[in-house]
Amino acid sequence: MILLDYHNAVIEETLRQPIIGLEPIALDSKIVDFDGVSYRISTTPQTKSVITFSLLMQCFKELVQLGAKEMLQKEYGSYYQTQIEQGYDFSLQFDLQKLPEDKEEREALVKKLSLIKRDLLAIPFEKAFEQQAEFEKEENKNPPIITTTPTTKSAELMQIHYRDLEAIYIQAQNDRVTVIFSTLFKEETDRIFGKVFLQEFVDARRRPALQNAPQVLYSTKEPPLEIRNLPELQKAEDREDLGYVTFVLFPRHFVKGEVRDKTISQIQLFRDYLHYHIKCSKAYMHSRMRARVQEFLKVLNRAKPDLPSVEKKTITGKTMMRGA
Amino acid sequence: MSMRLPPVIMDNGTGYTKLGFAGNNNPSFVFPTVIATRDSSGTGVSGGSVTAKSSGSLASKRGIEDLDFFIGNEALSNSKTYGLHYPIRHGQIDNWDQMERFWEQSIFKYLRCEPEDHYFLLTEPPLNAPENREQTAEIMFESFNIQGLYIAVQAVLALAASWSSNKATDFVLTGTVVDSGDGVTHVIPVAEGYVIGSSIKHIPIAGRDITYFVQQLLRDRNETSIPPEDSLKVAEKIKELYSYVCPDIVNEFKRYDQEGDKYFKKFQGIHSVTGQPYEVDVGFERFLGPEIFFNPEIASSDFLTPLPEVVDNVIQSCPIDTRRGLYKNIVLSGGSTMFKDFGKRLQRDIKRTVDGRIKKSEELSGGLIKSTPIDVNVISHKKQRYAVWYGGSLIANMGEFYSYCHSKAEYEECGPSICRHNRVFGSMNG
Repeated sequence: MILLDYHNAVIEETLRQPIIGLEPIALDSKIVDFDGVSYRISTTPQTKSVITFSLLMQCFKELVQLGAKEMLQKEYGSYYQTQIEQGYDFSLQFDLQKLPEDKEEREALVKKLSLIKRDLLAIPFEKAFEQQAEFEKEENKNPPIITTTPTTKSAELMQIHYRDLEAIYIQAQNDRVTVIFSTLFKEETDRIFGKVFLQEFVDARRRPALQNAPQVLYSTKEPPLEIRNLPELQKAEDREDLGYVTFVLFPRHFVKGEVRDKTISQIQLFRDYLHYHIKCSKAYMHSRMRARVQEFLKVLNRAKPDLPSVEKKTITGKTMMRGA
Repeated sequence: MSMRLPPVIMDNGTGYTKLGFAGNNNPSFVFPTVIATRDSSGTGVSGGSVTAKSSGSLASKRGIEDLDFFIGNEALSNSKTYGLHYPIRHGQIDNWDQMERFWEQSIFKYLRCEPEDHYFLLTEPPLNAPENREQTAEIMFESFNIQGLYIAVQAVLALAASWSSNKATDFVLTGTVVDSGDGVTHVIPVAEGYVIGSSIKHIPIAGRDITYFVQQLLRDRNETSIPPEDSLKVAEKIKELYSYVCPDIVNEFKRYDQEGDKYFKKFQGIHSVTGQPYEVDVGFERFLGPEIFFNPEIASSDFLTPLPEVVDNVIQSCPIDTRRGLYKNIVLSGGSTMFKDFGKRLQRDIKRTVDGRIKKSEELSGGLIKSTPIDVNVISHKKQRYAVWYGGSLIANMGEFYSYCHSKAEYEECGPSICRHNRVFGSMNG
């Protein structure tokens, strides 16, 4: 498994029986996802046929400003609840009796729910891509007069604080969209692994096959220019364990449709992808180490102390032969 | 984090792995503990030689072969092109390389959580070597950077799970755990949370043996409608759907003979190849299957001690001051204890032995000694099937759980040896 799945398998598994199979069962499960997202899927004690699906997410407030509520209302319509379960950010409610008749539609619904975190985090990306398209359109309408200083228009920087101390910054410009991740390595070994890893990203792009891949830049300690003026980062400037990864996406990376969806899915999982692979590399190193120790042990087991080949004589003068 | 995320509970058994988050009633995933990898070397070769054999190729590889593997059901469905390995043998981790990768995927692919944000509760079999525990801690803290770790003994968790039963009156950690899964049945006495290691007994009769026995019975009776390739599956289904434990085998035979129609059932199956439906009569095997726990001689010739007697022997071999508690709280766990009335029968049989013994000692004393009768209680509850996991979920949901865990900071201070010591048990200094 090189790439992580986009959907949440637990949600899919939990909802399969009630929503796809239409079998009411008592549910009450708390599920988590990457980046501290937690869900609760529950039925009330009175009725098993009404399922409440609630979600809690650290950056939900920021997403609301970008139109998360509208998105949810549009996507989930009557399922969307105005009354929110306590301790969560929003709730959806499904009445098994009122679900679509068509089984495929219900399957699509479960699939959509298992991707809900992706869809929510996709909002800022979608928005940035729209902004970029607008800039481009404007530019095409009245092409800029060639001057010595290139005119770059940039939209407002969007900040998504999806974890404590870690954030995604997205900025649309007239010819590109810049995505910056700040990521925190709790451990020193991880930081080194991460550095090697990210360096590899930069190097891999030099290969001819990957020329079209988005540009990746990596820096530690020093935040990239785009976000350097943010007050919160000025405080954090001296933090050794903070790293910044910058992706520069050109319009060809977000052609509307499948390409765009894939780009969004992959880029928002980037942090987890990175940490997953750091862990995998460690596991790989460990198996190398174990194999090596095994080899050494074999050598040790083979080793025997040399037998002294001294001729021994008994008191009467006979020679003792050992082992022969 | 603004809010503490629930701890992850992982119960890796020989047969199945149960994964989920604390606070839930059921594990989110239950799948076979199996990993399918590309290297063809040795299915069925023990751990050491596998690593030794593959080490040559390991050093020379430069790609991403180490990520090319599947676990659980996906592994089974890919068994044609991949080699299957079972990293756990007899409850203990046998191949650490594979186990580390198994965990990798369980966490990232199935549970989808960042291990750095969670506490983990893992389970171990009784009498697990402390070295294994250290290895586990090493992998968990070094590779996965988890926040904290607690390794619990399965039997103790099974006891904790029984607190959910309405029969359980007080939350004690003293009791006898009868754990019967697919491969083997264990009887494990636990006193105040300590497993009494020297008294543990294993019985080579468990779920799989019942299935074989039912299959044999069907075959002997000449049930020709069962397609031979499905016969094991049919036997398993019949066992799961219709079996129960009877109070007395002779009476039960009589009842079946007199009013057969009331007891005989029909099993309907569909041929796995042709898709034709077929019918199988289900008769005596309904109660004879589980009966092999109580009268093993009907199925096997090499193990002849009935389960109630084994339980009694186990308790009798424990320190005398723990025995009352052990009789009072006999807890069932595992899928093969789910038969209807299993607990009742076990309780009755043990009670009979115990009362007989008391009576005899009173007689021998010539009526001079009067003993207080001994309470025998077999506790069965709804969560029996995944009792160990459920017990873990209950414990990890309590506030004190975090104070019992070994945290990452402590690990870094003292090293893996911290896991040799379990903090539930008071003042010892590890």
